[in-house]
Amino acid sequence: MALLQLEKDRLVWRARQVTGPDQRRQSSSYPTLDAHLQGGWPQTGLVELACGSTGIGELRLLFPLLAKAQARLQVWINPPAQLNGQALAQYGISLSQTLLIRCQNPQHALWSAEQSLNSGCCSHLILWAKSLTAPQAKRLQVSAKDNQSLMFWLHPQAEPSTSALPVSARFSLAPLATGLHLKIHKYQGQWPQHPCQVDMHELWPSLAMPAYVAAPKPTNAPKNNIKAFPLNTLKLQ
Amino acid sequence: MQWLYLYFPSLQLDSLLHQQAYNHACVLVDKNQVVQANPQARQLGIKNGTGLAQAALLCAQIKVITYNAKQEQRLLSQLAQCLYQTSATLYLDPPQGLLLQTSDMLRLYEGLAAYWQQLQHPLKERSLNYHYASAHSPLAAKVLAQAGNDRLLTHQSDATRLLSQLPIQHAGLGHKLALQLERLGLNTLGQAQALPRCALGQRLGKTLVTYLQQLEDCSAPSRPAYQPPERFRQRLELLYEIEHSTALKFPLKRMLTDLEAFLAPRQLRAAGLSLGIEYREHESQRMHVGCSDGEYKAEPWLALFALKLEQLKLPAPIIAISLNTKGQMPWAPLSQQLFEPTGGKLTSGQLISRLQSKLGDHAVQQVYLHDDHRPERSFYQGMPQSHNQTQQATTSLRPSLLLTLPKALHHKPDHHWCILSGPERIQSGWWDNVNICRDYFIARNSCGQVCWLFRTPAEDWFLHGYFS
Repeated sequence: MALLQLEKDRLVWRARQVTGPDQRRQSSSYPTLDAHLQGGWPQTGLVELACGSTGIGELRLLFPLLAKAQARLQVWINPPAQLNGQALAQYGISLSQTLLIRCQNPQHALWSAEQSLNSGCCSHLILWAKSLTAPQAKRLQVSAKDNQSLMFWLHPQAEPSTSALPVSARFSLAPLATGLHLKIHKYQGQWPQHPCQVDMHELWPSLAMPAYVAAPKPTNAPKNNIKAFPLNTLKLQ
Repeated sequence: MQWLYLYFPSLQLDSLLHQQAYNHACVLVDKNQVVQANPQARQLGIKNGTGLAQAALLCAQIKVITYNAKQEQRLLSQLAQCLYQTSATLYLDPPQGLLLQTSDMLRLYEGLAAYWQQLQHPLKERSLNYHYASAHSPLAAKVLAQAGNDRLLTHQSDATRLLSQLPIQHAGLGHKLALQLERLGLNTLGQAQALPRCALGQRLGKTLVTYLQQLEDCSAPSRPAYQPPERFRQRLELLYEIEHSTALKFPLKRMLTDLEAFLAPRQLRAAGLSLGIEYREHESQRMHVGCSDGEYKAEPWLALFALKLEQLKLPAPIIAISLNTKGQMPWAPLSQQLFEPTGGKLTSGQLISRLQSKLGDHAVQQVYLHDDHRPERSFYQGMPQSHNQTQQATTSLRPSLLLTLPKALHHKPDHHWCILSGPERIQSGWWDNVNICRDYFIARNSCGQVCWLFRTPAEDWFLHGYFS
């Protein structure tokens, strides 16, 4: 009986259930990523993103998702630099639904994250924090699930934290000329997946190269395809 | 016209004891004389008029509080404010009386009994000692109430009979005049009323004649009737000194309940509250708590104050607190949508005020656009408020994370950097002396970070942001 109830609530995952895109996923607007994640980001829960260094495209990964859902607040806690309103507005994110929280004390940051999730008026939360303990992650995960919110936890380590943390999904990101290299360490409800290359050229043509340019050529061309910086040609007049 | 007089012989003491449970002998003292005493003190033989030394002899552990006429006046108007819910026309009669005009209200309440029952409710709730009497004239009601009559008289003849039987000492005439009358052999008020007025006036002065005339005068007092205040304001003197900020919650809760009772019938919400804390031998302090959506209920306000109070470090024990509203606004429905997808427990305004009370006002911000070409001035972070987005974002690509201060690069970008776009020249600000002239490039470094670099005319290179 208990097992039946669990299955009904879709808490038990059976390997044979791997079928078409899950209804409870939301599209990330990146076709390759959606294909790898069988539909996209989870609807609710805590997602860990190990970014390595700031500025490799970790927010560009989330912007299409944030631009689509604006019924409730989107809370940003302790971003590593100023959040540029011009950029957010350009990417289609409503500034009136954006709330920015800064606090020095990491405990306060977690407290405000939990409060925001529990208020029920926050749809997405992006938290920068160095580390989370298992009980902290569990509390945030439960708060996010109970209140239909999706929380992203970004941290500057290159590799994700220990696998014991109770999160819905765990990814590590690495930069690529064409976008991002995404390693999927854990994703609730599906088999382990191969790493995925997110092509950002379509959405950000001036920030990422098209895949056919960046692909390694069999010739003796320079490996990284980097142009020399035009120091001499671009003199200020 | 029918009048009802309520007399509170120990108003200040009763309210103090009601707010803070205290079950030992306690007296109010004015000029070394006991003016109000609680039942425990009365049992020990302390009466009004007992000297302080004698009271201390009767009970060594007696709690002595100074009588404060201003405070009692404040309590009286608080009480009036409360009774105003039941009775439309009422007059303050300081220091300890309230005069209510009943004849207009009887039709609403269908009789004196129902009206009186309604009126008693707030008095019992505050556990006040009171005496009352109703009569045909304001003064008659007052005299009968102060004499401890405690009866509702509907007929003028009953009141006149009771008045005429009243001993002259209890008629509220003043000690000197009462003594003079007694010496004349007039022991009851009725005997004085029977004598010709002009003779009384010649012998004993005008005061007595005016008094006797007013006993029969049914018209309303000449002073204006009570008008409830527009804003909430309350002060509480504590019986105990409070040394832990968490203990402040209990008296605060009572005040907030009063606030709720003040705001709810007016259909108002308070945008903010200001709590004044007075310390013993230390400068007093004010604490502000805001709620951008406005709130009238005691419970959410208490939660907000609890967050503030836990950060408060008391420099000295607290002896009194006061509470007043900062900005009141009319009620508005919190949500316009009937079928919201997920039933939020809080509104965004409530969430913001909760975060602000814990983290400080400046920790919670929103981003606003500003019409300027200089990147650092093209937006600003400010306090959350009703957002009115009118500005358009620029069309050229901007980084999502901008460094507050551009970071100087030690070396010119070399072959490790890959230029993605640029230059974009921004030259602006000649009008306000923050002149910039920069060529911006988007470039990716060897770590894969997509950076926003700029070059000044002096060929210095800076990192200004990340296309995160």
